Amino acid sequence: MLLPEFEYFAPGTVEEVLALLERFGDGAKILAGGTDLLLMMKDKVIRPRCLIDITGVAALNGIRYTPGQGLIIGAAAKIAVVERSPVVREKYFALHQAAGELGSAQVRAMATIGGNSCHASPAAETPPPLIALGAKVKLQSRAGERELPLADFILGNRQTALRNGEILTGFFLPEPPPNSASRYQCLGLRDAMEIDIVNAAVNLVLDEDGATCRDVRIVMGSVAPAPLRARQAESTLAGRRLDAAAIEEAARIAAGEAKPISDLRASAEYRREVTAVVVKRALQQAFYALTAGPNKGGLCS
Amino acid sequence: MKQLIELQVNGETYAVPVSPRDLLVDVLRKKLGLTGTKKGCGQGDCGACTVLVDGEPVLSCLTLAIACRGKKITTIEGLAENGRLHPLQQSFVDHGAIQCGFCTPGMILSAKALLDRNPAPPEEEIKRGLAGNLCRCTGYKKIVEAVGAAARALTAGNLAGPPPEEPAAGEPAGALPANGEVKS
Repeated sequence: MLLPEFEYFAPGTVEEVLALLERFGDGAKILAGGTDLLLMMKDKVIRPRCLIDITGVAALNGIRYTPGQGLIIGAAAKIAVVERSPVVREKYFALHQAAGELGSAQVRAMATIGGNSCHASPAAETPPPLIALGAKVKLQSRAGERELPLADFILGNRQTALRNGEILTGFFLPEPPPNSASRYQCLGLRDAMEIDIVNAAVNLVLDEDGATCRDVRIVMGSVAPAPLRARQAESTLAGRRLDAAAIEEAARIAAGEAKPISDLRASAEYRREVTAVVVKRALQQAFYALTAGPNKGGLCS
Repeated sequence: MKQLIELQVNGETYAVPVSPRDLLVDVLRKKLGLTGTKKGCGQGDCGACTVLVDGEPVLSCLTLAIACRGKKITTIEGLAENGRLHPLQQSFVDHGAIQCGFCTPGMILSAKALLDRNPAPPEEEIKRGLAGNLCRCTGYKKIVEAVGAAARALTAGNLAGPPPEEPAAGEPAGALPANGEVKS
């Protein structure tokens, strides 16, 4: 499978990237990890005239944590780097888990966190935890910079709010509140190298009593064209003392909010059933992490 | 439109004419003659084309050769030293972890990336590290055992692994090695 012809640029700064985008317009594509883009080019789904390789742009790489404020992850940060980051593991555990579930070791070494959101696959791993953790995307064009909640950036299957001449430069995640824990769960046809049938991330905040839900975010993937907040399930839990029955009820409500389709991986009916299971497990694990001591890494099951 | 780039492979620097669309796997195999790297699915699913780029396992069928300028590439040909197999290679032979051999170079490079980062991985970590490498002769059990045994041998120092892809000091960059015949 040959790639079509294209011009290749490897700029060193964001300004150079933006100048190239202006010059080539629609004919340009950003090359980050290439694990989705080059496949689409091999399949002749897209035929860009030029690829702009951003992996060498220092400003788009790296993970920077400022205590009390939060975390900035460069758009070109590799998934493996996100997964191994001690601060991501300590403070943004659901993101650590989702990064570890993405593809294979090779794909994690190549793919980027920015590409995972910009490709906007409904089954993508990292957008649900990022949204649950309150992530904003940082966008830059020659007209200036802007920020959007990631939830408003991913609009649907392969659709984002990215404008012509604009690039995603990074993600901002606020400092997690005290008494909070995030967890990610997913279900695929097998344990490795699968595309999720359903995934879900929760970010749970408890009151000082260690039992009452102060706030919770539940974000489901692969059950709608874009990551879906289970807002009714969230409001069911808010202000309520958490126990098995409350979590079970919230998971059922979340499954009712899902808008799954049938495809080659699962039927809509099955997806809805296992949405309840996946959301329940994520809630149980977050609650357990806050009430029963040491963090337990959740594996896909 | 071809341009001349330098690629550092197994410690040697090669000057190679490439088009932007040339994939690393094809340049390694067809232009450098390093056919140990296999091309399986061409879609990033099978892992047969795995090589190390700056120590990380990478799918060379989804990597542009031109994007590898200035990076250290290690292929299966770069593991043996002075005719002696790398402990991972020796362990694969000793454990019968090779059947048809097509997946083996990628398997061993994925295993090397894993052991370089985690010298004593539990079995589950070995399986996770190799999850992106498919074997159609169904030899996974022996492969996992071979990697575990190599890890024990390497950490015990019973077998000294050759150092990674460091070029010899003072070697002039850009020189075409004697064996580095380049076809355009």
